[in-house]
Amino acid sequence: MSELISELSKLSDLERTTEELSTQVKSVTGKDHYAETDDDLIKLQLKNTKLKHRLSIIRQSIAYEAKSAMEVTESFSITEHLENVFARAISLAFPEYGNIPVIIAPVNSASAKYGDYQCNNAMGLAKKMKEMGVNRTPRDIANELQKCCPLSPIINKLEVGGAGFVNVYLSKDYAAQSLKNILRNGIKPPRVLKRRVLVDFSSPNIAKQMHVGHLRSTIIGESVCRLLEFLQHDVIRINHLGDWGTQFGMLIAHLEDRFPDFLNKSPPIGDLQSFYKESKKRFDTEEEFKKRAYNRVVSLQSGEPNSRKAWQLICDVSRQEFQAIYDRLDVTLRERGESFYQSRMLSVVDFLRNKNMLEHDEGRQIMWPNEDRSGIPLTIVKSDGGFTYDTSDMAAIRHRIEEEHCTWIIYVVDSGQSTHFNTIFKAAERCCILNPTAHRVHHVQFGVVLGEDGKKFKTRSGDTVKLSDLLNEGMKRSLEQLRSRGRDEILTAQELFEAQEAVAYGCIKYSDLCHNRISDYVFSFDKMLDDRGNTAVYLLYTYTRICSIARNLGDDFCYLLKVLDTVEIVLNHEKEWKLAKTLLKMHDIMIKCSKDLFLHFLCEFCYEVCTVFTEFYDSCYCIKKNKDGEIIEVNRSRVLMCEATAAVLRQCFYILGLKPVSKL
Amino acid sequence: MAGEDLIAQFQTLGMSEQKAKETLKNANVTKNLQLALAQAAGAPLADGTGMLLYHMASKLKAQQAEQLPLLVRYIVERKLDNTQRVDAALEYLLKCGQKLKANIDVKELEQECGVGVVVTPEEIERIVQAKIKSSYKEALLEQRYHFNSFKILQDVRGELKWADAKSVKAAIDVEIFDLLGPKTEADLKPPVKQNEKPKAAKPKPEANPSLQAMEAASDGANTIAELMKTKVHFHAPGENFKTDGYVVTEHTERLLKEHLQKTGGRVHTRFPPEPNGILHIGHAKAININFGYAAAQDGICYLRYDDTNPEKEEEKFFVGIKDMVEWLGYKPAKITYSSDNFQQLYEWAVVLIRKGLAYVCHQKAEELKGFTPKPSPWRERPIEESLQLFEDMKRGKIDEGAATLRLKVTLEEGKVDPVAYRIKFIPHHRTGDTWCIYPTYDYTHCLCDSIEQITHSLCTKEFQSRRSSYYWLCNALEIYCPVQWEYGRLNMNYALVSKRKIGKLITEKIVHDWDDPRLFTLTALRRRGFPAEAINNFCAQMGVTGAQIAVDPAMLEASVRDVLNLTAPRRLVVLEPLKVTIKNFPHAAPVQLEVPDFPQNQEKGSHKITLDKVIYIERGDFKVEPEKGYRRLSPKQSVGLRHAGLVISVEEIVKHPDTGEVVELICSSQSAEQAEKPKAFVQWVSQPIPLEVRLYEQLFKHKNPEDTNEVPGGFLTDISEHTISVVQAFADQALAQVKVYDKFQFERIGFFSVDPDTSNNRIVFNRTVGLKEDAGKK
Repeated sequence: MSELISELSKLSDLERTTEELSTQVKSVTGKDHYAETDDDLIKLQLKNTKLKHRLSIIRQSIAYEAKSAMEVTESFSITEHLENVFARAISLAFPEYGNIPVIIAPVNSASAKYGDYQCNNAMGLAKKMKEMGVNRTPRDIANELQKCCPLSPIINKLEVGGAGFVNVYLSKDYAAQSLKNILRNGIKPPRVLKRRVLVDFSSPNIAKQMHVGHLRSTIIGESVCRLLEFLQHDVIRINHLGDWGTQFGMLIAHLEDRFPDFLNKSPPIGDLQSFYKESKKRFDTEEEFKKRAYNRVVSLQSGEPNSRKAWQLICDVSRQEFQAIYDRLDVTLRERGESFYQSRMLSVVDFLRNKNMLEHDEGRQIMWPNEDRSGIPLTIVKSDGGFTYDTSDMAAIRHRIEEEHCTWIIYVVDSGQSTHFNTIFKAAERCCILNPTAHRVHHVQFGVVLGEDGKKFKTRSGDTVKLSDLLNEGMKRSLEQLRSRGRDEILTAQELFEAQEAVAYGCIKYSDLCHNRISDYVFSFDKMLDDRGNTAVYLLYTYTRICSIARNLGDDFCYLLKVLDTVEIVLNHEKEWKLAKTLLKMHDIMIKCSKDLFLHFLCEFCYEVCTVFTEFYDSCYCIKKNKDGEIIEVNRSRVLMCEATAAVLRQCFYILGLKPVSKL
Repeated sequence: MAGEDLIAQFQTLGMSEQKAKETLKNANVTKNLQLALAQAAGAPLADGTGMLLYHMASKLKAQQAEQLPLLVRYIVERKLDNTQRVDAALEYLLKCGQKLKANIDVKELEQECGVGVVVTPEEIERIVQAKIKSSYKEALLEQRYHFNSFKILQDVRGELKWADAKSVKAAIDVEIFDLLGPKTEADLKPPVKQNEKPKAAKPKPEANPSLQAMEAASDGANTIAELMKTKVHFHAPGENFKTDGYVVTEHTERLLKEHLQKTGGRVHTRFPPEPNGILHIGHAKAININFGYAAAQDGICYLRYDDTNPEKEEEKFFVGIKDMVEWLGYKPAKITYSSDNFQQLYEWAVVLIRKGLAYVCHQKAEELKGFTPKPSPWRERPIEESLQLFEDMKRGKIDEGAATLRLKVTLEEGKVDPVAYRIKFIPHHRTGDTWCIYPTYDYTHCLCDSIEQITHSLCTKEFQSRRSSYYWLCNALEIYCPVQWEYGRLNMNYALVSKRKIGKLITEKIVHDWDDPRLFTLTALRRRGFPAEAINNFCAQMGVTGAQIAVDPAMLEASVRDVLNLTAPRRLVVLEPLKVTIKNFPHAAPVQLEVPDFPQNQEKGSHKITLDKVIYIERGDFKVEPEKGYRRLSPKQSVGLRHAGLVISVEEIVKHPDTGEVVELICSSQSAEQAEKPKAFVQWVSQPIPLEVRLYEQLFKHKNPEDTNEVPGGFLTDISEHTISVVQAFADQALAQVKVYDKFQFERIGFFSVDPDTSNNRIVFNRTVGLKEDAGKK
């Protein structure tokens, strides 16, 4: 019997083993086996799942955005939207001419009976057809276009007028809705193709004065950056400091003489400019000093620690001065001076040499910007082996395209440099650093600053004007202006100071920006501080006035969102409608400004908004008060219009660098 | 104010120096007292007034804090002249507490507190006499001084609410003395113990504090129903504002009213597991508390899958969780999913951003770790920007890990700005590819509670630190705010519950699967044969206190024995059979014996077993050379056969010719009536069927295998050897027809349960527990 038992147990042992083995076989042959053991595979599978999921999400987002692109909730430029509408109409009506550019023009408000915008393509089309032997009248073509226009939520009606204009009447519902959206969601930028943009601006030289030319570059550059940032571009702000070159040899040599202990103790260089002048004088007169200065250039470029340290100390002095100015003007910059490109200059020379771009010319190595040796050649290597601005600019443009991956490079530099930059751009294109189909380069040039006498801007003694002095003068003048209006009695000390700064810096910036930048402009505090006409002061006052309207209503408008939920914007009055249309032009203007980087269009727009608002406010009451000054009626729709106007101005002011203050 | 000064000031209230010092340690009470002192502003304090101020200061909740000046004035003016009145005032003010800056109706307050009500000694005497006469006289005469006069006191005070307790007690004592005369010797002896039934009546809301104290003396109860009815003192639905730490806002009153309309005043609870693993013994407590409390209050309990993390969720976990809840005997009123609320949660997130209470942050996960993570540089970014970025997150435009949505709130533990949403490019088993941003626990939990109108959000103590953010979030969104109550977590010693670690045990082939009976997952316990009722009772014994409890498995096993003892029928089984041939078998042929399933309780049924000439006994029940005190079979000692009516004595020992191992015993038998009474009866089987019996031992050597102090090498080094052994046992034919999870007591061995591996030709049993506590260990 016991044998039986042990047999039995053996048997069941066997059975169990078989079962275990068979499950093992199953698990080995099944796919799961790999999945459980191969970590890499698991990781890859997970990655795959994630990518698939993201793909699916992004596809939904694209579908969503495509759908909502036609909805009013999105912000867009009206002109661009109408261009799309008419482009579709043209390609539907006349497919063979589908590629011609669409011409949309806003209609002057004086002729509002012809609609708000016009499509002016019919005339051009008729001409083209005639060339092809087809005879159709522009009016006929315009009728055809009108029929083929796709529905758009922003269009109320279309009419053919005159010789063949298609007149577009905007929808008031759309306008009201758009204004509410501005108030509800803030001002959203129109959709543009995003680019990585590098803006090279300000760029003063170490140890030298920052002058009014730098001021222009700084002001224009900052606003260009703000504009492009608003349009959602990826903007890199670069301060291309002049912190490299032969002048540092003499500065270092002079530093060694004046402050032998500079390695251990920070030298108290109070006035770097006179320090520069001293060393320059010695350089021109003392032969031994000149020689030593050259040596120092070499040791600096080879990275010798003592010279490096001396250089650093000198740069720091300038840097602090510059930063003080930037802080006052609320300017943000990333410093990347010429020294940054030292190693890249070496490599760009190799690069050009390898491409056979360099030619020897009396000991120099030069490069022609054009294949046919036309234009002015760049000096890439000097006869003494040193580099020039040409070298560093070539190295910089290469770095910006190849390492920073920028597709748009903007140089904010005065008009005097335009030949230089055009040469650099050509050369870069010639050696294939720059690909004009993929990269945009832009020299944002500007004219010189003149004094009120129409001559170059100088102090009375004939020196160049120190920037900090200029800003101080602005502060003084602005305070005087505020005092003369009695503001010092109404405002608190803090408010007065804020107003003073807003006016002083605002007017300096605005008067620079409000003219076409290419022309020279006359610097005049008197004109800037005028409170009439297209000036910062006028704009700031108007803005403050607009803000006070809702503020005077107290609690009610503290919760703007709640008001928006209950109040509709009504645009029945002619002036209401005019104001609404003006405000909605904002995106057109932004796009227009960004095309060739002219900010004076934006200034003109601000001025227009303010004048149109004044018209509106003069003929449409917002708040009715009785004789005792008590509020008896509030037109909430109009108060919302005021708020929308303020929002639009606020956004424009930000781009222009104006700081609105709540009390002025 | 310096501590010394405060102590001196506190002493002027009538505190001992000791007490003053202790009070100083409680910041809240100290603050209240300081305010009270400032309010009293040196007014002369009548006797005992100081201590009433202290009493008030120590009981004052945040919700009543703004009424402190009123309370102080009433106490100083002796309008509230005893603790009872102060308590009544506090209670009244709490009731008004759901409105911010509520106007207190002074008249009503005074009425509630019985201000100015004077109870004369005559009145007390009259009522005491009447009460004793009508209700207690007989009991008093019978039990004499052993009668608990406290009942009378309560009764009298029911009538005379504002009577002074001491005077009432004195009056009662006088009456009793009148009735019974002086104490006899018998009266001085301790009373004979009686099994007092637990009080079934719900405690009255305004129960005397000492009553509550008496009840709280023991935390646990025998069953969950009893526990929930007698030991748990949660707030009533709609009275959220009366609980400690509840934040009342201008919306509270309205929201609570709406909440009551939606629930009809019923209790709503929920059991909210994450469906990313298997339930374990700790969850059993949560299940019991949530379902149990709802059941005890005639409320409802949801099973909510907290499925906000798509990474780890699998279908099988969903099914498993539901199975286990049902196995424990509960039926969810509804099964809900956190993911059903994704859209609502998202919209609320947008609301929070708009309100400036949440922002998109780009700090990396690593940057948020550690004790003092850097504050987010994005905290003050413009609202518009956060809105846009959050939209971008949702639209798949931002990489995983590159952005999170964070709430502008600091948790008690100092954690700043918890994350509400993170990006995960993983499809969700329920929402598919709709979302790539998923809400976190911190964000989701309270909002789902609010959506489901949960009255009591019951959770373990670790979440206490999240309570303020829980309330903050509901209030920030102006939605109904449930009350969070915490209880201590239940930890099992010698066990592991971490999913990851159990997974490791499985891949390392230390255990077979999630339901390996050596584990403490619920499926494992079920497989091991633990009855659900035993687990529930065990949870009831642990109670609902705040303390974290760590218990040995022996506690749980004891509960299991208690249940199985009453429910598992007895069977005769030998684990290590030794053949015995009965030489003088008294019957001509095999006989069938009728054996009771429960020898102590014969009415509960019986089964038949076969007795034949050849039987098998447990090998361990025979010893060739017995030690002293040995009671079972040996060459010189006979033993009785259980239920067989026979006593056998060894005649001959048959040994294996090679090994010398005993292979058979030839025995003679005598009927039990004739034979001398044997020292022991053993189990046996005839014509047996084979059983595979799996014997399990405790898996870990140390109490806390995860504690690196105890087990420096990590839990994998703490595995005991041979924690499973399989034996081929013999059982009577009566066990041939068992079903999976049938449970039996194998007499003299232990409790066993049929394993799911059982098939038509193979019966597998697991040992559930031994008969005695140490049966498993040797």
